Amino acid sequence: MLALQLLFNATALGAAYALVALGFVLVLNATGAVNFAQGELVMAGGFVALALDRLLALPGLALLPPLLLIMAAIGLALALLAYFPIRRRPADTVFISTIAVGIILANGANALFGPEQQTTPALVGTGAWRPGGSESGLVIPYQSAATILVAAGLIIALHLVFTRTQLGRRLRATAQDREVAAAIGIPVDRMVAATFMVGAALAGAAGLLLSRSFFVSPTDGGNYMLKAYVAVTIGGWGSIPGAVLGALLIALFEVAFPALPALVPALGPYGTGFNQVWSTIVLDGIILLILWRRPQGLFGEAVRVRA
Amino acid sequence: MRHTPATLVNSLALAGLAAYLVWSGATQPNYPLRVLSIAGIYGLLALGYQFIFGHAGALALSQATFMGLGAYASGILALRYGLPFDVALPLSIGAPVLLAAVVAAPVLRLQTHYFALATLIISQVALLVAVEWQSLTGGANGLGGVPPIQLLGTPIRAGWPLLATVWGFVAAGTLLAWQLGRGRLGQAWACMRAAPAAAASIGIDAARLRFVAFLLSAAYAGLAGSLYVHALRVVSPDALAFPVVVTCLTIVVVGSRLRPLGALLGAVLIVQLPEWFRDLRDYSLLAYGCILLLVIVLAPAGLLGTLEDWAARLLPTPTPPTPAPEAPSPRTTPNAQRPVLEIRTLSRRFGGVQALDAVSLTVRPGEALGLIGPNGSGKTTLVNLVSGLYTPDTGTVRLHGTDITAQPTWRLARAGIARTFQTVALVDDMTALDNVALAVDAPAIGLLATLRTGASDPAQATARAQAAHLLARMGASDAAMQPAGSLAYGIRRRVEIARALAARPTLLLLDEPAAGLNETEQADLAARLRALLEDGTALLVIEHNMAFLAPLVDRMACLDAGRLIAEGLPAAVKSDPAVVEAYLGTPEPAPALQMTP
Repeated sequence: MLALQLLFNATALGAAYALVALGFVLVLNATGAVNFAQGELVMAGGFVALALDRLLALPGLALLPPLLLIMAAIGLALALLAYFPIRRRPADTVFISTIAVGIILANGANALFGPEQQTTPALVGTGAWRPGGSESGLVIPYQSAATILVAAGLIIALHLVFTRTQLGRRLRATAQDREVAAAIGIPVDRMVAATFMVGAALAGAAGLLLSRSFFVSPTDGGNYMLKAYVAVTIGGWGSIPGAVLGALLIALFEVAFPALPALVPALGPYGTGFNQVWSTIVLDGIILLILWRRPQGLFGEAVRVRA
Repeated sequence: MRHTPATLVNSLALAGLAAYLVWSGATQPNYPLRVLSIAGIYGLLALGYQFIFGHAGALALSQATFMGLGAYASGILALRYGLPFDVALPLSIGAPVLLAAVVAAPVLRLQTHYFALATLIISQVALLVAVEWQSLTGGANGLGGVPPIQLLGTPIRAGWPLLATVWGFVAAGTLLAWQLGRGRLGQAWACMRAAPAAAASIGIDAARLRFVAFLLSAAYAGLAGSLYVHALRVVSPDALAFPVVVTCLTIVVVGSRLRPLGALLGAVLIVQLPEWFRDLRDYSLLAYGCILLLVIVLAPAGLLGTLEDWAARLLPTPTPPTPAPEAPSPRTTPNAQRPVLEIRTLSRRFGGVQALDAVSLTVRPGEALGLIGPNGSGKTTLVNLVSGLYTPDTGTVRLHGTDITAQPTWRLARAGIARTFQTVALVDDMTALDNVALAVDAPAIGLLATLRTGASDPAQATARAQAAHLLARMGASDAAMQPAGSLAYGIRRRVEIARALAARPTLLLLDEPAAGLNETEQADLAARLRALLEDGTALLVIEHNMAFLAPLVDRMACLDAGRLIAEGLPAAVKSDPAVVEAYLGTPEPAPALQMTP
């Protein structure tokens, strides 16, 4: 029963991480560049949700549509300031310009909202559902269930847009090969801008979903950034399903690691070692090992380097 | 030294910086001098960062880790074992260099985005260790009571003595950085950044040069960290946190990625900025973010680079004379009577495509072999396999009888295989002469050789003289002192061939050398290539253009769909029915084949 509970918790956490990683990989494919501000966009989403809550005082779910719009606008600003002026320069230039935007977002949030941790409104309510009664021990908080549903809804909507609409086909063509897309008359710049908007909106939604249970503070960005980066690396650089899978794997590790002594009795004597610090160190060690032995990721890279 | 506008700008900036430091030291109270000392320490950190980020072009996010390690090593040695700053210095520099050497093996060969991630993760782990290992590091609060800098038993007082000591180290570090960046090593790094495949093709071992840059960046960071902890008198995890990386990156981007003086100007500006604008103090990182973004977008060359550009536009730039040409001595090859190149049943598959299927070929000494075949028949694959860009699935390649299968390109270049590329790969902002000169004895370029170089570099003078000779041989003398990026396409091709020759190859691989040339240029090029054969350099030429190729080569081989379908004298291969069918797709023998592009 503990395993089932852990699996559910991991899915809820992984669903939110998946949105961050998806936004990261979509921008990566459309521009060939790393958006280092993706983590700060998650943090910004948390604070936008906070501001909207103060303004509207509605449940979290009702804040989602205006939040997505505001985040899309921030994504557009990011593209206009930190991508379009330098898009013809080497890819590491965009890496640095988005580091700069990340710093601006983090310190801007610090100036506007202060350095303290704050919490955003619950999506639907604060209760929990206990299937199988109290003796089963399985607890499904409404927040976690709603997180999974919202993330799944966004991912499915995105999938439908990408596969069933003309806009989606154009976005995919742009991601595949900008030059060919431009040659057949696709407005590539607008498609790239739209991708930045979608990427920021997904990060913002993740900010809303995560900032209830994990709070939000201006310095959170780096952590989320690293998770998206790592998810895309182990899922295969440029692979969209890989990004989702990578995010779920990271969440599974983070949820399972502290519970290992409970799951495996033999580890009992070392129970105190299974804390946050060792979780980060062990995960970092695994990532470095993957980068060293399998830099193409666990499932292979999707983007080939063009000579 | 030549007085170019760039040297003028650098001299003025240096004089201005020196005057500012002397004036501050003489007139300012302790606090501003302390800030200026910290600026010097960040200058050292940034000088080191220029090696890995600027010269090697790798976005390392671990510079704070190396600085923090130097700081903790020096601080802990002082507090626990009473070792003064100068005695501990070898250890405080050695520890980060050792860490860099250890992590370099797995991470340094990674592509930019993975390298950035790997170094970011390493710095996250280092920060966690510093915070959590409380018995050693004092945890989040760090360790206080670190003694001041001590040199040969004399403690250095706060105020101008501290300023002079720190900036003394900065001056030494700047001199070393300048020495390492100015000559052939700096050009080798530039080539490795701008045209990695070309760098390998002239025998530059990019992995080794990148390793050298990484170790240097760690050494400078270790010195900076050691000075930092004794100047601040405490060591805390702040020294290895991400804001230090941000500051360092901002300094280098704002000042200059390559020029040592740019790192110092950037450090003085960026570190003092929050002091000059008191209201800004709480928002210094916000300001750094905005400055970083503005400079990246508006002045990508940084302050110093932009000033140099302006000066170059306003002031006349004297073009130095082309050096007197000097013929290089030919390579002495053991087993010169053995075939230059022997390819045996070489195969390579890409996904579902058999790009090359059991091809065997031989190139004899002093011979020119033409390789023809329709597009996609495997010609370039063959050249890439022979020059080490790809590794074969099966088969062997021998050079003068020595098995060289699957060796890296730079090793093959040193063994005597040179090549040109289908798309010309030159370093655009280096002169044509220096592009060629770099390839003369490129394997000798290294850290130790560069350190031994005096005011003028005889190795570079020789290389330039030989480059002038080779450019003349290829009919590109007029272009010698022009930046390669400003040259016309046909000239760029000749410069590239001259560069390949500068590596003194016994086998030269040419991938479509006549593409884009008019008939006069083609005839001229063919005559110059024939002349190479008389020196004993064998040629393997890929070409579609029969009018160019047939008179140039001794024999011809034709590939189709990865297989060798004909080999022999040019006339025979041209009229071979299988070749005609491969090109034209008709089973009937053509009466007289006209294969012009």
